[in-house]
Amino acid sequence: MSKSRLRWIKLVAVLTASLATTHALAEAPLLRATIEPAQITVGESAQLTITTMGTGMEPPALPVVSGLEFRVIDRSRRVEIIRGATLATTTMVIRVTPQVAGTFTIPGITPKSQPLVLRVNPNNGIASASATPPLVAGGSTANGIRLTPDGSAFIRLTVPKREVYVGESVPLSIEVGMRAGFVTSLNGLPTLAGSDFTLNNLSRQPERDEKTIDGKPFTLLTWHSVLAAVKPGTYSLIVESPLTVRIRTAPPREAILEDQLGDPFMQRFFGAVVQKNIKVASPPIELTVVMLPVEGRPPDFSGAVGSFDIRGDLSSTTAAAGDPLTLRLHVTGSGNFDRVDSPMLEHVEQWKTYPPKSSFKSSDAIGYKGEKIFEQPIVASKPGAQTLPGLAFSYFDPATRRYETARSPPQRVTISPSAADSAPTPPGAGARSPGGLRADHLAPQAFASSLVPLYMQPRFLSIPSLLTLVFAGGWLRLRRRSADPLHGPSTRVRGSTKAANRVVAQLEEAARAGDTVRFVNTARAALQRTTAGDSDADGSDIPLLLALADEANYSGHAPASVDFAQWTQIVRRRMMGEKTS
Amino acid sequence: MSSRAQLAASIIGLALFACQGRAHSAQSGYSAAGLYNLANAYARAGKPGMAVLNYERASLLAPNDPDIEANLRFVREPLQLPSESPNGFVRAATVASPTVLAWTGVAGLTILGLSLLAGQLHHGHRAMRRAVAVAGFTLIGLTVANGVVLWPRLHEAVVVTAEAAVRVSPVPMGDRLFVLPEAETVRLKAEHEGFVLVQTRDGRLGWVSRANIAPLVAFE
Repeated sequence: MSKSRLRWIKLVAVLTASLATTHALAEAPLLRATIEPAQITVGESAQLTITTMGTGMEPPALPVVSGLEFRVIDRSRRVEIIRGATLATTTMVIRVTPQVAGTFTIPGITPKSQPLVLRVNPNNGIASASATPPLVAGGSTANGIRLTPDGSAFIRLTVPKREVYVGESVPLSIEVGMRAGFVTSLNGLPTLAGSDFTLNNLSRQPERDEKTIDGKPFTLLTWHSVLAAVKPGTYSLIVESPLTVRIRTAPPREAILEDQLGDPFMQRFFGAVVQKNIKVASPPIELTVVMLPVEGRPPDFSGAVGSFDIRGDLSSTTAAAGDPLTLRLHVTGSGNFDRVDSPMLEHVEQWKTYPPKSSFKSSDAIGYKGEKIFEQPIVASKPGAQTLPGLAFSYFDPATRRYETARSPPQRVTISPSAADSAPTPPGAGARSPGGLRADHLAPQAFASSLVPLYMQPRFLSIPSLLTLVFAGGWLRLRRRSADPLHGPSTRVRGSTKAANRVVAQLEEAARAGDTVRFVNTARAALQRTTAGDSDADGSDIPLLLALADEANYSGHAPASVDFAQWTQIVRRRMMGEKTS
Repeated sequence: MSSRAQLAASIIGLALFACQGRAHSAQSGYSAAGLYNLANAYARAGKPGMAVLNYERASLLAPNDPDIEANLRFVREPLQLPSESPNGFVRAATVASPTVLAWTGVAGLTILGLSLLAGQLHHGHRAMRRAVAVAGFTLIGLTVANGVVLWPRLHEAVVVTAEAAVRVSPVPMGDRLFVLPEAETVRLKAEHEGFVLVQTRDGRLGWVSRANIAPLVAFE
């Protein structure tokens, strides 16, 4: 074989090997996973870095290890060109937070990759800390807690996460440790320092426990509550609690003895002790508060942040038109239930809807988990088979970091005609009714247009009204006619009888007394009243009487020829309306 | 034409007008026998609420009908609902149907008016005129008494559903005060947005859905 031919063979072999390597780099993705540091203590976090090289590979799933919490904190992607081939490198940084001490084995990300080992050392401060919550504040001390300078108390704050959303409810635990014999009283409930967060009401009764920390007995009181962030940013979370502690004034050498004695009475016996009010604070926890994303926010989003599920039901699937039904929406899960709201159904054709009211049943002591029930009264206006639309509820899930909308299926309901709307239709006459009822009546003969009594119906009331007007008008007209002198002599006669009798009595009295002047004057006055306007008066004997009266008045002598009886009759007849000759 | 002739013609015209109105509305309204038979049908069908409602309506048109009273008691007794016994005044005031008493009142008004006019025209027979006026007053009083007795019943309603929740406010989500049984009679006090303020026989007040009750006389 010639040299040139050997060179060609080597060249082809090198090219073939190079192409094969390039193909392998391009087709077979590589994956590398590291964890640093491999040994931590409870309260610290390790960083798991997964690097994927190549294309065509799905992002690796987060491993699941009991006692470890994995949270993705960064993703990056880098593209390189190696020997003409494109190589993509994806790096995912995961924060690994242990919840308990121990040695954890994180399985390989792929079946071929090697498992990783993470050693978590316990906090030596608390002897029985097997149930320690995930994140523990106070890492500045060796025991994971920060005691007051005199070692009498501490506060430990536990929150499950370091990154929260505005409005999100985050459960937290506040643990107040008080050394037996040194803390005499707890002067108030723990409170937040600052205004960056809000704290719901603490659980009514704290959990009480006795623990030994660094060989010293402590009484632990634990409250649970819900924390919420007000505004975005990075803030320190600190909890304070007022206490009254006993301060030793004895020399330190004697204090060692007092500690060994343990009993407060014996301590008081051996050394001088004074009481002092102090405020103990927890080590600060840095929390990052982020805004809820605007992108993808549903129109009906009410601010609910958490993990929720919904279920809808109806009080009855059958009802009569006009009967109220109750449509319910059950929202269950965990989160800020104070922001869980739903308008329910607002405008549904052939239904009248009312504003819903809600009630909340908490399944824990702090109101973080539970069920909120919305009840909306609805009234069908028309009978028939109808379908109520399904209900929807939108919320933001911090686990998936996106908005979710839960929906319930539509509700079918059958509406029957209203009983009250059944018009009374007269049935035909039937036979005798069984069961004690008296028999039906014969077919009706008389009908009434309304059940309202006839005398209350406006059309009928016009009849008595008009009758009243007619009778009243007639009566007034007749009365006015009788009062007219041209048409009512009888009334004048009745009215003059009494006056005539009275005048006659006066005349007779004057006659008996023989007083002619008084007689003729009385007679003249009576006749003047009676004959006023009487055209017939001039043709009678009235002028004679008037002349006699004038004679008596002007002469001062009584007329001698006055017939008292005759003139009395004349006056009486005249006053009674009778004609005189 | 004299005034007396004009008066007589007016009265006759009004009477004819009223009679024509009654004849026009005949065959299209309510009858005591029809309502009674309908109530019997409801009672046999096991619907005491609707039965009591129609018995009560029938008794408005035919008061003192023994069949209506008997069947009303028969329906109410198993439900332990009280049946009121009318006193003497009520019986006297409902001696006839409201329609008859309406015309009785018109007759009394006519007699009274004529007696007053006669007193102005003639002065004799004074005692007789007074007796006629008293008779007219009596007939008018009978009609007025019938109205006084029936007025509360015109504002009553009967529970026609199995039970009716009485609430503190006129909204479906209002807190429930108590529950009215079917066939219970209540008095209507006010109405608002499909709810009616009712008062029970023992004086309790509350709002009930209009769908649960039916008034004796239809809502205007």
